[in-house]
Amino acid sequence: MTETTTAPAAPTTVPAPETGTTAPPRRRRRRVTPGRVLAWAVMIIVLLVTLFPFYWMLRTALSSNGALYANSTSLLPVDFSWGGFERVFGLQSTEEAIAQGGSGASIDFWLYLRNSVVVATVVTACQVFFSAMAAYAFSRLRWRWRNAVFAVFLLSLMVPVIFTLLPNFVLVRELGLIDTLLGIMLPGLFMTPFAIFFLRQFFMNVSTEVEEAALIDGASKVRVFFSIIIPMSVGPIATIAILTYIGSWNDYFWPLMVSYTDDSRVLTVALGNFNAQTPQTGPDWAGLMAATLVAALPMILLFVVFARRIVNSIGFSGIK
Amino acid sequence: MAAPSAPPVPTVRGRRSGRRDDTRLALLFILPASIGLLVFYFWPLVRGIWLSFTSWDLLSPAEFVGLDNYREMVADPVFWNAVRVTLLYVVINIGLQTVVALVIAVLMQRLSRSTLLRSLVLAPYLVSNVVAALVFLWILDFQLGIGNQLLEWVGLERIGFFTSETWAIPTIAVVNVWRHMGYTALLIFAGLQAIPPTTYEAARVDGASEVRTFFGITLPLLRPILGLVLIISVIGSFQVFDTVAVTTNGGPVDASRVLQLYIYDKAFGQFDFGYASALSVAMLLILVVVTFFQYRMTRAGQTDLN
Amino acid sequence: MHHARRTTATLAAAVAAGTLALAGCAGPGTAAADDSVVLDYWLWDANQLPAYQRCADEFQRQNPDLQVRISQYGWNDYWRKLTAGFVAGAGPDVFTDHLTQYPGFAQRGLLLDLNDLEATADVDYGGFQEGLADLWVGQDGAQYGMPKDFDTVALFYDENVIAEAGMTPEDLEGLDWNPDDGGSFEKVLAHLTVDENGVRGDEEGFDPENVAVYGLASNGSGGTSGQTTWSWLAGATGWTFTDKDVWGTEYHFDDPRVQASLDWLFGLVEKGYMAPYEEVGTEPNPQQALGSGRAAISANGSWMLGTYANLQGVDLGIASLPSGPVGHPVSMYNGLADSISAQSPDPEEAARWVEFLGSDDCQRIVGEAGVVFPARPAGTEAAIDAFGERGLDVSVFTDLVEKKQTLFFPVTEEFGAIDSVMMPIMDEIYIGDRDVATLTEVNDRINGLLK
Repeated sequence: MTETTTAPAAPTTVPAPETGTTAPPRRRRRRVTPGRVLAWAVMIIVLLVTLFPFYWMLRTALSSNGALYANSTSLLPVDFSWGGFERVFGLQSTEEAIAQGGSGASIDFWLYLRNSVVVATVVTACQVFFSAMAAYAFSRLRWRWRNAVFAVFLLSLMVPVIFTLLPNFVLVRELGLIDTLLGIMLPGLFMTPFAIFFLRQFFMNVSTEVEEAALIDGASKVRVFFSIIIPMSVGPIATIAILTYIGSWNDYFWPLMVSYTDDSRVLTVALGNFNAQTPQTGPDWAGLMAATLVAALPMILLFVVFARRIVNSIGFSGIK
Repeated sequence: MAAPSAPPVPTVRGRRSGRRDDTRLALLFILPASIGLLVFYFWPLVRGIWLSFTSWDLLSPAEFVGLDNYREMVADPVFWNAVRVTLLYVVINIGLQTVVALVIAVLMQRLSRSTLLRSLVLAPYLVSNVVAALVFLWILDFQLGIGNQLLEWVGLERIGFFTSETWAIPTIAVVNVWRHMGYTALLIFAGLQAIPPTTYEAARVDGASEVRTFFGITLPLLRPILGLVLIISVIGSFQVFDTVAVTTNGGPVDASRVLQLYIYDKAFGQFDFGYASALSVAMLLILVVVTFFQYRMTRAGQTDLN
Repeated sequence: MHHARRTTATLAAAVAAGTLALAGCAGPGTAAADDSVVLDYWLWDANQLPAYQRCADEFQRQNPDLQVRISQYGWNDYWRKLTAGFVAGAGPDVFTDHLTQYPGFAQRGLLLDLNDLEATADVDYGGFQEGLADLWVGQDGAQYGMPKDFDTVALFYDENVIAEAGMTPEDLEGLDWNPDDGGSFEKVLAHLTVDENGVRGDEEGFDPENVAVYGLASNGSGGTSGQTTWSWLAGATGWTFTDKDVWGTEYHFDDPRVQASLDWLFGLVEKGYMAPYEEVGTEPNPQQALGSGRAAISANGSWMLGTYANLQGVDLGIASLPSGPVGHPVSMYNGLADSISAQSPDPEEAARWVEFLGSDDCQRIVGEAGVVFPARPAGTEAAIDAFGERGLDVSVFTDLVEKKQTLFFPVTEEFGAIDSVMMPIMDEIYIGDRDVATLTEVNDRINGLLK
């Protein structure tokens, strides 16, 4: 991410490729050492372990529920069928769905997708922004109670989920926000302790020289925040934004509590239909696996798009 | 670094003294976050602590009972078992996860900048806890799972991954490592990116080997981020719930009855919310102590870069 | 510094866009469009959702001033959302209730007495299948639920597997069982069990450690009620869960009959006729066992009919449970009901919907869907016909009710606390780490919880 031109006069015998070149015409020459081979071997194993369950999900998504038990170790889809995906997009009639082992509930896929996008986007935008502000205060501003207040924020990281669930729900109800998207977004809108903590660690590392220079030039601390700290922290900010987005996208229980009708139903809650509906019956396997893959796809796309941005934005260390 | 410019001139704002005091600005900057903190974290926390001193069944008014819940808790073998089981889980989970994530992050930085690689590594995090647990429940099934088929193929005995008292917790730990290793690796990776390449250059010029560079430069400079990652991971790990509920539901017998599972059962299954609150306060105290030590030990509050 | 401006601008734009989108999205709440009363009805079984929607349509036709909004949440989420709803006062008007949960709700004053409400005050509860309505009468004599459906237990099997063993469906009828030697039932299980060398359980050289096909599919340890695992065994010895049909004050796990039954059942593991705990875990999947050919016979409830019927490659057969020492089979008899929340703002209207739910009209509609057996005989008939159209003879399930060969699901207070004690203990017995005789002291413990 932070790419600099290599100092041409650094004759080393150990190929250390971490400082890559940016000059396109020059080809990177890497020597194949046992170290690199081992490194790639490890990486490949990691990828296999990471991705095998996804293959399993795909294979199950393309199978028919009834046949799954008969050939449970087959590596290929059993009794190939698009039924799982059809159910996810709401393309099957209720009778068909039930006949194939799915649930009879109807799914308005695109509505739920839109709801999820709205919720995740707004929450991410607000949460990251407010958390960055607070992180700045805890890392680059000097004030008397800085450490004490930060400790309080850190404490909130450990508040047990079971404490927050019901009071937040009661609050949302009293504000009349039951069954609204705003109600779903509300608890996450202002900050999470994790985001503040994370950004603070990075803001701490931003070099002070540039800041000093700007301050000397007469900039206010606010200006420093917007013009220096944020641009120099695009990487961490993008990272936390992506993680926040994913977290908000995947949130299940809270949106389940708050939503009562399609008005405020998000994708994860709707796809909860594919879980086991009655005690002792299994889930709609094909539908569930298809739903998981479909729900993960927007985020993979999002990540690929934004990660490219991070790599391409030449992160300058700002000091030359 | 920066060429030294003119010697520092006195600040234009004459009223402030040399030591800048940003209190007012700081308070402004933390204002939105503080609203969130007070309303959505602090108030529930205080209320939860209050409830731990009551007997409350969620649906009738709470009745103050003083320390009764805590007395009951100290004498409760299920509670102590839960603490033991949870600690075991956290140690296995975090130990494995941190090492694996560190390896992946370093590999990502050294081997390839490909964004495809990064998104693939992050992919498990996109799957919900419940679904990941279900998939592994199938893959590791005693009779029908590919995992055990492989074991048999290699000549080993089948293992009841989720049904054996010795294997239940380690298996759940591994499932969660699978899910979180990419996410943790990404966090560490972000930290690696923040280390100026110039420091590596300096090390190279000095002739340091890769291993030496890693332990002597990379790790120490990663400390703030590693500290954060460890703290976050441990806190999350302690509260493991979904995976256990889906795969073993506390079984076999009590081998995987983690604290959060017990808390939920008491709160929603038995309507004993006062006791569940006391259990949660206990968990909170454990987390506070652990985090405090982690923070100190990793000196996550300081950075070596400035 | 146009980076910063760009970033800030993007953020601001996102927030603005979001707020605009919100303004369009935030729903107005639960008010109906045309001032009619909206009743919220919750259920968990998605398979029955279409049938209940048809009921609601019919009800709305007959009652134009009322609207019914049906919400379906899966079992795991259902109770938590319901509880949260009660806590915040945001629950449903009417909801499907379960015998393990309703005592807790009734105790806390969350359910309305149907006898107090106009529409349901005159319902003849004798018109339901016998005994179902009594299950829902509280200790104070209030009627807390309108019976909805019932279920019983029978034996499911794959006709192909039976044929391979040289048996016919008739061989599975009229079996007998006792806790001492297992009767003809155990002989059948032995014959149907096949080890990995192809040797059957009743032949020489059978290896109980390496079994390919188990005679009986495992349903786990059963917890407190053992509905599909052992209630039909213990019940067939004449044993009852508690001292009364409903609202018993002491459990009978100290009775030697139930202990002998459990001993026999879990002893099957050693004999090799049933899978060990190691293989199936806390929540076994018997349809998986049947579907993959891992087990020959699976004892399960009538609510699983649809799931078993969908197993590909399996020719589903249904046999009645074996007769016990009392001379006939005994099955657990469970029934769901619809309850009205005490927090409902429209209790009288809710009662009208509940009355319709318990009427012949609605129950026939539900029966025709062929998913469960509705509580009214007219509905039950419709269900039998619907199943018959799919080629399933379900008389085995309904005969038990007609012949009164049933055992009530245990309705007592503190079921949650009792179950959380019993489940791990039963698991331990299944695993083999605990002797059945220790149930006597466990019994004292759970009776202590009831005081």
